[in-house]
Amino acid sequence: MGIKPVLTRDFATENLEQLAVYERTGGYSGFKKALEMQPDALVDLVKASGLRGRGGAGFPTGNKWSFLPKGVYPRYLVCNADESEPGCFKDRYLIEESPHQVLEGILIASYAIGCNLAFIYIRGEYLPQTEALERAIEEARQAGYLGRNVLGKGYDIDVILHRGAGAYICGEETAMLTSLEGYRGEPRLKPPFPAVKGLYGKPTVVNNVETVCNLPHIVLNGAEWFKAMGTPTGAGTRLWCMSGHINRPGNYEMENGTPIRELIEEHGGGVWKNRKLKAFQPGGASMMVLLPEHLDVGLDFDAIAKAGSLAGAGAMVVMDETTCMVDAARRYVKFFEHESCGKCTPCREGTYWMANIFDRFEGGDAKPGDIDLLLDIGYNIDGRSFCPLGDASTWFPRSVIKFFRDEFQEHISQKGCPFKKALQEAVA
Amino acid sequence: MAAVQTDQITLSVNGQSVTVPKGTLILDAAKKVGIDIPIFCSHPKMAPVAVCRMCLVEVEKMPKLQPACAVYVAEGMVVKTVTEQVNKYQKGVLEFLLINHPLDCPICDKGGECPLQDQTFQYGPGASRYEFQKAHFDKAVPLSDKIVLDRERCILCWRCTRFSEEISGERELALIQRGVHTIIGTFNDEPAQSNYQGNWTEICPVGALTARQYRFISRPWDLDRTASVCPGCSMGCNIQIDARNNRIGRFQSRENLAVDDSWLCDFGRYSFPNFQRKGQERPRVRRNGSLQEVSYEEAIAFAVDALKRADRQVAGWASPADSNEELFLFRRLFREVLQSPHLDHRSTVVADAEPDDTTLPIADIERCDHVVVLGGQEVIDAAPVLHLRLLKSQRKGVNVLRVGTGELKRALDGVPAEAEAVGILATEASKKAATDLQLRLGKKIKGSVRRLLVTTGPNGRGAKDLGILPHLGPGYASLNGQSGKGRVEWPGAGLKALYVHESSPLHGFTPTDAESMWLPALPLLIVHRFTASPLDDLAHVILPGHAFTEKDGSVTSMEGRVQRIRKGIDAEWVREDWRVLQDIANRLGASWAYDSASAVTADLVASLPPYAAALNTAGRVLWSEAT
Repeated sequence: MGIKPVLTRDFATENLEQLAVYERTGGYSGFKKALEMQPDALVDLVKASGLRGRGGAGFPTGNKWSFLPKGVYPRYLVCNADESEPGCFKDRYLIEESPHQVLEGILIASYAIGCNLAFIYIRGEYLPQTEALERAIEEARQAGYLGRNVLGKGYDIDVILHRGAGAYICGEETAMLTSLEGYRGEPRLKPPFPAVKGLYGKPTVVNNVETVCNLPHIVLNGAEWFKAMGTPTGAGTRLWCMSGHINRPGNYEMENGTPIRELIEEHGGGVWKNRKLKAFQPGGASMMVLLPEHLDVGLDFDAIAKAGSLAGAGAMVVMDETTCMVDAARRYVKFFEHESCGKCTPCREGTYWMANIFDRFEGGDAKPGDIDLLLDIGYNIDGRSFCPLGDASTWFPRSVIKFFRDEFQEHISQKGCPFKKALQEAVA
Repeated sequence: MAAVQTDQITLSVNGQSVTVPKGTLILDAAKKVGIDIPIFCSHPKMAPVAVCRMCLVEVEKMPKLQPACAVYVAEGMVVKTVTEQVNKYQKGVLEFLLINHPLDCPICDKGGECPLQDQTFQYGPGASRYEFQKAHFDKAVPLSDKIVLDRERCILCWRCTRFSEEISGERELALIQRGVHTIIGTFNDEPAQSNYQGNWTEICPVGALTARQYRFISRPWDLDRTASVCPGCSMGCNIQIDARNNRIGRFQSRENLAVDDSWLCDFGRYSFPNFQRKGQERPRVRRNGSLQEVSYEEAIAFAVDALKRADRQVAGWASPADSNEELFLFRRLFREVLQSPHLDHRSTVVADAEPDDTTLPIADIERCDHVVVLGGQEVIDAAPVLHLRLLKSQRKGVNVLRVGTGELKRALDGVPAEAEAVGILATEASKKAATDLQLRLGKKIKGSVRRLLVTTGPNGRGAKDLGILPHLGPGYASLNGQSGKGRVEWPGAGLKALYVHESSPLHGFTPTDAESMWLPALPLLIVHRFTASPLDDLAHVILPGHAFTEKDGSVTSMEGRVQRIRKGIDAEWVREDWRVLQDIANRLGASWAYDSASAVTADLVASLPPYAAALNTAGRVLWSEAT
């Protein structure tokens, strides 16, 4: 348990983003080894490794690959680099530090599923990262890792890098495919699932950046090696993006199952300014809040889910005792209101309404019924929306009401934010 | 153990067992047993999108509520549409839809026939808990010269955008912006050009898309609704004439899957102002060079005297927008009473009419494997709703080949020899080319070749069937050498009189250059028409008649479908056209005794057996079945 650099093992190496340096650290040997294997054997290997998708849902990667209908070509791999969850910055780090590792992972995944054209859908704001990937793709092409008859093994693969235009929803896999095709970024009806009818109506696998980065290591070291790390249902490591009221914010690659306490107190250096921990959020803007009593929960999909939240994309947002939880929820709700694509009624109208109510709390005009109204609106959105964006918009605020209902009541009784007032008094 | 292969699926909806074909949506399965699930975005003609979330129902073994409009049935599925959870959610989604809806129902054209209003009454909460300023959007946005959009009323159901994409294929409407700011609009706010925009207003489940012509004209409950047929072209689209205070407010579509598939074109839909009567009018006769108002009796007596003087040198032109009943009597008046063979309904020379045994029914376009549109856009312009049927067919996999009338070789090459069912669409002006292509394709391909000719006017086909032609009698019977002269020959034929009958300004007698020279010198011109005509100035007798929308009768569409038209507007002071024709005939010595339009129909049907079957079933006239 603890820090376990696998993906980030060589990140201290200078100029790792250069192909020659990456190769010196063992880069592309995973891909070379993969090319010696049968694609089906690769799928089995990844299945056996227990690798689960790092984008947020934690779906077993090997299983996802095996859903592609037999004999239907072309098929596509889309690497989801549209990292937009507030609090998440791991994909950016992985791309910045080692773009070739991302590319190698994509090549292995493409080979495994029989895809000859892969896409990277990268967040539009990630310009330096886009440039890093562009350079890496060009270098790899020059070196013969991309193109026709790769390394003389008779396999053709090319990678197209596509920049998003700034919509959070395009991180949702079907909205990403719609956007990639040139349409408005809006989620599609499922079924059919992307594995059956994805990009341009063809079988498509969507894998997160961190997910594919695991592949070279699994290929080189084997499923048993990978499974030996982490928990029985959560093999391997994850990058945790630590932010908020913490002494040492940043990315930490932790073996799955490591207690959250170790991440926050040891590696993160604890809560800043010698303040007490009030709450933390283990999966980014969407996920439910957890309390200090949950510090001993392991960094693991299932353990965090059992504790009442979700590991999501691995963002650890730390909030100290001075945090106004109502304001935190307000900011997140406003984010979702802004990012709602408008396709379905509950998300479009519900997030707007919730944002209005939160503004009322902030402005001191909230009414006693507003807390239950928020819960009821949340109930009417969650599970009723077209895609998880709407559902997720309600998770944080509802969990905050569950644990910090008294703060909402104080906002009502004190006609405004008690934290802000305390701050103003302190300043005065 | 052999599993029984079945395409039928049995499920339970609210405890009722229902068996439906595989691939049926929960929504439709429920409907089959009379269970109504509320919807906004779902539309039977368009692919499911499940965006409004109104139709969510409980399905056993599924953790979340499921959209009934998008989830297909499965064997043994247990669906519950009325549960505490569903009912609570229905209130919730309606509350969501209404938080930014202006609730201006009292001044909204849709009020009274509005799904949002109706479902709020049936399923919604009595009051809203929303206490904030509503999001404001532009109101009365001109989308085109036909349609006005109220963006505040819009609930973003995507029906209009999907129509524009899936049904008309024009992609003129799109969603702009996102989240609560999402709006419907056209590219760069340019006016929409579509000829099918009226359908947007009909499928809009709120009052967001309204027709300029109908805005603030009526409340739905004040409308008198009459089932009829569109007077626009020979397609025979079924309409409802919605009139208030005896004035037409609008034409609405009246679904006939075999004909219009529930759509109308804007040309037909917005043609109704042509049928608005402008005040009362009395018959007039020309005495000493000027027109004088007289009674019908006087006018008829005047006309009869003049017709007698013309001594059989009389030509008759009846409009292809006249009813079959009028055409039947018009033909009898000429052939039997006036003893004149000079009858026509055509404007220009068209290929000879003949019984059309191989007519391709409109609905069968979908069942062809190849369809040649001979003349391309020219055919669509003549019957615009055909375009929607062609697109639908293309979506189903029919190969549609659009070629010019002179491109027979391209058409011939475009259809492979193994084709089994081929259709040819053409206007009747291109009949010769169409017949030629039919013949040649018939030799080339394995299967059958049928054609569908777009006739002129809502009853051009009826006019041919009933013998309003100089060279053929009713049912295309030979005249045994008694052929008369056709309209193009009239100016030089030494005629002494012309009787023009027309019920629609859209399909009136427009004089050609040659006719403009001829008509002023003609001793007698009887103009029996609905509204002011260019011929009025030259007429010796003007007999006001009923408009297409003011009479009962029947018309025959291009595919030979005989459909009833009905009186949507009363103009009681106007003597029925059939009665005027009877009065003229009787004064000329006949002894007709029709007492109603339906009596004329009965006689018509008796004399023309193929019409009997067709009228009884609203089916098609099949000459090949007549013996």
